[in-house]
Amino acid sequence: MIDDLCDEPCEEDIAIAMLYCDFRDQQKQTATNIIGAILRQLLVRGEVLESVQSAFQKAKTEVGGRGLRLPDMVRMLKRAIAALPQVFICIDALDECLPKNLLELLGSIKDILGESPRMRIFVTGRPQVEAEITRFFTTSVTIPISPKAHDIERYLEKKLEMDTEQYAMSDRLRADILRVIPERISGMCVGVLVPSSCMILY
Amino acid sequence: MDYTAYSHNTSFGDSNVNCNNVTNNHNKIINVNKVIADENPEIMQWLSPLDPRGRHQDVRMDRLDGVGSWLLGTKEFREWRSNEGGVDKAVLFCNGEPGVGKTHLR
Repeated sequence: MIDDLCDEPCEEDIAIAMLYCDFRDQQKQTATNIIGAILRQLLVRGEVLESVQSAFQKAKTEVGGRGLRLPDMVRMLKRAIAALPQVFICIDALDECLPKNLLELLGSIKDILGESPRMRIFVTGRPQVEAEITRFFTTSVTIPISPKAHDIERYLEKKLEMDTEQYAMSDRLRADILRVIPERISGMCVGVLVPSSCMILY
Repeated sequence: MDYTAYSHNTSFGDSNVNCNNVTNNHNKIINVNKVIADENPEIMQWLSPLDPRGRHQDVRMDRLDGVGSWLLGTKEFREWRSNEGGVDKAVLFCNGEPGVGKTHLR
């Protein structure tokens, strides 16, 4: 999706910041660090960069005052976004954040969005985080993701093509793999994994 | 030079991939943000210890072109992308169970 935003010819310049949440990195992925990681990606030369540089120099001289607080970070990010024409922020796997961090992060994004109405936010996560998202963004749009038969077939074909142990493969086995796996997965989709509201293209 | 690069291109995180949106030529050029990051490593670390660059490259390498592209054709995605609906529709949430391919959407 990120690459597609990049590849798409468009009339105006866009800036993209992304972050992949990871349960193995939960302790480090605080709201402050996530907002900071987004800011890192959106700094361009000019007044905003200069103000970040001077805040850093100032923090260096303060005893024990080096760390940035969330409100400072949010303020700086608002300024960085205001200096850019259009900003897209993509955050993957929100459910892998600790609940406390997730709520602080969503609250901060809401605050920033209030001053940057053209900013676009793309987030992914397991269905259970939807309640948290709609708590902060009552009009957010949800698209359920499910494996599409066409995507699975394509993926399998590629994997089989790249199989390093070709001698173990026969035409029959290959045909079985290409038939059974998409069938099973799509069966799971309709019956177990996703509700009927899901957009399934079979 | 790097500022000019930004002004005609998509600034893509602090990775070094940049795309020319005029010719759609997918030029790989060092973007402004990468230059700033390289010039200010201490500041970057101070802002955040998180650097999503590596993870993004892994995901890109792993992804199969075309898989998940149905998403881009949905009405919801197009409205979100084009700013129709304004701030009310600023947040797009793609949900799904583990392993359905959310990370690798194209």
